Amino acid sequence: MNIDEMNEELAVMQLSDSFFPTGLFATSNGLEFLFSKNQIKGVDDLKKLIKINIEQQIGPSDCVALVNTLENASKGDFKKIIQIDEMSFAMKSIKEIRTASVNSGIQLIKCVSEFMKENKIFNEYQNAIKEKNIHGIFPVAFAICCNALNIKKEKSMTMLLYGFTVSVVGAALRLGLIQHLEGQKIIHEIKPIIIQIIEKNVNKSIFDMWQFTPQLDIVQMSHEKMDSKMFIT
Amino acid sequence: MNHIPRIGIGGPVGSGKSMLIERLVPMLAKIGYSISIISNDVISKEDANRMRTNLATKRGLLPENMVIGLATGGCPHTAVREDPSMNLSIIEEMEENHPELDLIIIESGGDNITTTFSPILADYFMYIIDVAGGDKYPRKGGLGIVNCDLLVINKIDLAELVGANLEIMKKDAEKIRKEKPFEFINCKTDQGVKEVMEHIIHDVLFDLSPKSIQAQKV
Repeated sequence: MNIDEMNEELAVMQLSDSFFPTGLFATSNGLEFLFSKNQIKGVDDLKKLIKINIEQQIGPSDCVALVNTLENASKGDFKKIIQIDEMSFAMKSIKEIRTASVNSGIQLIKCVSEFMKENKIFNEYQNAIKEKNIHGIFPVAFAICCNALNIKKEKSMTMLLYGFTVSVVGAALRLGLIQHLEGQKIIHEIKPIIIQIIEKNVNKSIFDMWQFTPQLDIVQMSHEKMDSKMFIT
Repeated sequence: MNHIPRIGIGGPVGSGKSMLIERLVPMLAKIGYSISIISNDVISKEDANRMRTNLATKRGLLPENMVIGLATGGCPHTAVREDPSMNLSIIEEMEENHPELDLIIIESGGDNITTTFSPILADYFMYIIDVAGGDKYPRKGGLGIVNCDLLVINKIDLAELVGANLEIMKKDAEKIRKEKPFEFINCKTDQGVKEVMEHIIHDVLFDLSPKSIQAQKV
């Protein structure tokens, strides 16, 4: 492994670490609602929920936004990045999830700006957030950071999907739905799905972006309205 | 961007964080200070809703949208310490849209005596305990009790009933806190709450008059 590769690995570790502050630990993506209604029971149900989320939501929308942002960032096409940011924002139909994604994206950029000073696209993106020319939605902001840290697209997608999986498993642990060893088993069993989704979406154009999870959308909207809850949504 | 002074109030569940805010805000509002409250809660928006009803809806001391409840994914400590991103997002929005605010109060629940606030989130940190936990506090220490800018010991009216010796608590607080201040209070009668307010005005607001009054002078 040469120095560039080692730097890339360290950047992957830093951004993937649960210690990295993005605020995403406060979201359960609707899991809390299902749990409160006794509609999810244990490991198998949780795995199915993560699978649906990855296959129908995060993979074809967030991952496609991410790879296209990375490609356009490396070409320096900022206009295209604005378009991706707008499309990704519009695709998040649940208000709390959309807001949480924007808040996390902006905080991610702010955090990385502490140690990333000389990257043209990164600075342009940060300025566009300040000037409110761009939303700062998480998958696009994440791609901007990955580009600045020279993380390749497959690895960036892996981080996004892995991070999502861990956040849902973490929420399930805190809810008491599963125990810690089961959590690790689920993460391990989701790995082939993550790989499949990366292969499926890595070369997709921004115009092929989609998501379709109507039942999950209803669950997440119902979660928004819960009076007593631990998670944002 | 205009930096609005921020106070973090932490402490165990039931120690009186929300009640202290409900007592402090009317006193500060009477002087003319404009305040916003962010309530981080483990499980619900109960405290935020109560403060909104009592301070905004019923008494009109601040606009209803200036009391914000934040769900924290079960980890209120994380949301004010290791990863304050969500709180910072709200504050940045407030600083941009409400420069008239004099003060932001951030409340965080949690029953852990090691609670602290990230220095990027709160300029001043108050930790509140109550005598019902026993007079072993504050002797027990913990980051919150030892390091906060102001230690507040609430519910002193219950001391006799629960067998807590206030003199012991005072001596231990002096010993463990060294030069740092602490106050005994009773939120039911406002005993000691004025002293807490004076700490805020002096140590956080630097004795500046409210922005609305400063603007009138100009």
